[in-house]
Amino acid sequence: MTDQVIFDRGYRTYDGPRTGRWGAKSAVYKDGIRRILGLRRKAMLKIIPWGLLSVALIAAAVFVGIHWAIGNIEESLREGIPTYGGLFDFYSAISLLFMTLAGPLLLIPDRSRGVLSVYFSRPLTVDGYLVSKVGAFVTVVAAIYIVPQVVLHIGLALIASEGFLPYMGETLDVLWKVPMVTLAFVVLNGAIVFILSALIDRTGIAAAAFFGLLIAGGPIAARVAEAPFQGARWASLLAFDQHPRIIRDALFEDTIDYPAELAGFGVWTSLAVVVVVVVAAVVIVRRRYRKLA
Amino acid sequence: MGQSSILEVSDLTHDYGDVVALEDLSLQVPPGITGLVGANGAGKTTMLRLMLGLLHPTSGSMRVLGHDPQTEPLAVRARVGYMPEVDCLPKDQTAADFVSYAAQLAGIPTREAKRRSSETLFLVGLEEERFRFLGDFSTGMQQRVKLAQAIVHDPDLLLLDEPAAGLDPEGRVQMLQLIRRLGEFDINVIMSSHVLTDIEETCDWVVMLDGGNLLRSGPLEGFEKLGTVLVEVLDEAEAVAARLRARGFDTTVEGHRFVVGPGDATLEQAIVEEAAALGSGLVRMVRGSASLEDLFLRQGEDA
Repeated sequence: MTDQVIFDRGYRTYDGPRTGRWGAKSAVYKDGIRRILGLRRKAMLKIIPWGLLSVALIAAAVFVGIHWAIGNIEESLREGIPTYGGLFDFYSAISLLFMTLAGPLLLIPDRSRGVLSVYFSRPLTVDGYLVSKVGAFVTVVAAIYIVPQVVLHIGLALIASEGFLPYMGETLDVLWKVPMVTLAFVVLNGAIVFILSALIDRTGIAAAAFFGLLIAGGPIAARVAEAPFQGARWASLLAFDQHPRIIRDALFEDTIDYPAELAGFGVWTSLAVVVVVVVAAVVIVRRRYRKLA
Repeated sequence: MGQSSILEVSDLTHDYGDVVALEDLSLQVPPGITGLVGANGAGKTTMLRLMLGLLHPTSGSMRVLGHDPQTEPLAVRARVGYMPEVDCLPKDQTAADFVSYAAQLAGIPTREAKRRSSETLFLVGLEEERFRFLGDFSTGMQQRVKLAQAIVHDPDLLLLDEPAAGLDPEGRVQMLQLIRRLGEFDINVIMSSHVLTDIEETCDWVVMLDGGNLLRSGPLEGFEKLGTVLVEVLDEAEAVAARLRARGFDTTVEGHRFVVGPGDATLEQAIVEEAAALGSGLVRMVRGSASLEDLFLRQGEDA
């Protein structure tokens, strides 16, 4: 018989550094990114986010390939193939699905599973918590817009007939236009999904409400705006998904008529709508979480 | 810690509109393990939430570890660990990840947080299960994870809200042993419970609340001295009992025997005096121990 030793490690005090409030916010931010992407979670939770990210990246590569193939046949035909501005519609569809998943997932489980009581027993304020969650959301969703655009930009530069560097020099405006349009898409849609996720306690219902509002809201608002009563045109502004596109068109000089434009509103009105929705989101979400804390 | 008290409350009142949760409370709690006792709705959770600065008192003041939770909530929370009564675990994370995350929320750097997460889960007896998802845990295991997240950042004070709630008898005993053990590591604990035997087994000090009022705040070790005394006399039991009753003691007579009290050490002296005054021979005098429950019920009636 061998001698048995019961080894008890006991309890060890901690005298090392503490990162304070900043550390708490940073922890919430990193956990938010992990949660959206399904990292350190079960495999099922990784499928949708990584699937959508893969589609976005593959699509960028495919568009570069189409530009290259068409350009080999006839350079002038490339004019008809969408590039930066036009591709926002495609990436918006992907990111809309992504936001439908990410917004509710970031906010609702913390509430429905009672985890907020752990958060707010730590050196973390309501504002710190919300800012970190918004940061995680913006980081990942903006990446869905920007990373494929970077792949596209570099790809187009590589196949450009004038050469890589001259192409980059000629298209410097893309470097600020793409982030600006991305910001409009992410901020407006993010504000809407955060409002819904703060008010609805079921992930599936919040996701459906957001998706439904953006998909069905446009046609309904457009139909109401055409109704024969005074002030009906203001209803066109409720087609929220058009506003980032109107801003995009103004920057990339595309011309598609959206309900708000048909009703006589311009890009500044769309910018104002974005600002109003964001302010509303800040007020509503903060108020809701202050009550919960 | 070198502190004379970990909690100081003076003239504290908190209401939720028309409902008064705590009323004009004044007390001091010394370092050690303290039980916050009261029925459901007595104001225990409100008290804990006030200590964390999550609620603001209607009037009065409070200091936790020397800080005012109303003006310095983050300073208090940095030094306090909190185990809520309600479910607070994300089902889609492993125990190790969640406890490590809880440490990072308290400002422990990532690498050290992971290390402490493992050590703390070992301490609460979950070393084998730490990489399992929390959604797969039993109630007992979840309670242990809740305790682990509360102590992972080495707090000076631990607030436990009904830590043994929902546990089977074996799990309850293990949880109370664990809490007792934390006290041995010089972690101050304030645990709320409506189960008085849990407090008796675990705590050094008890704060009794009833309907938002303070019934008693004091050490537990003196409680048994407040028990009743069983007295057997040769004769004149009724007369001796009547004289004791006249001195303010409760008495119940059964033949040659009667039960007197409760009362402190002066009770025995009174019995001897009255028996001697009537010339009644004392056969025996045995002091019974008072349970916390007796005391709680008695003080509740008096209040």
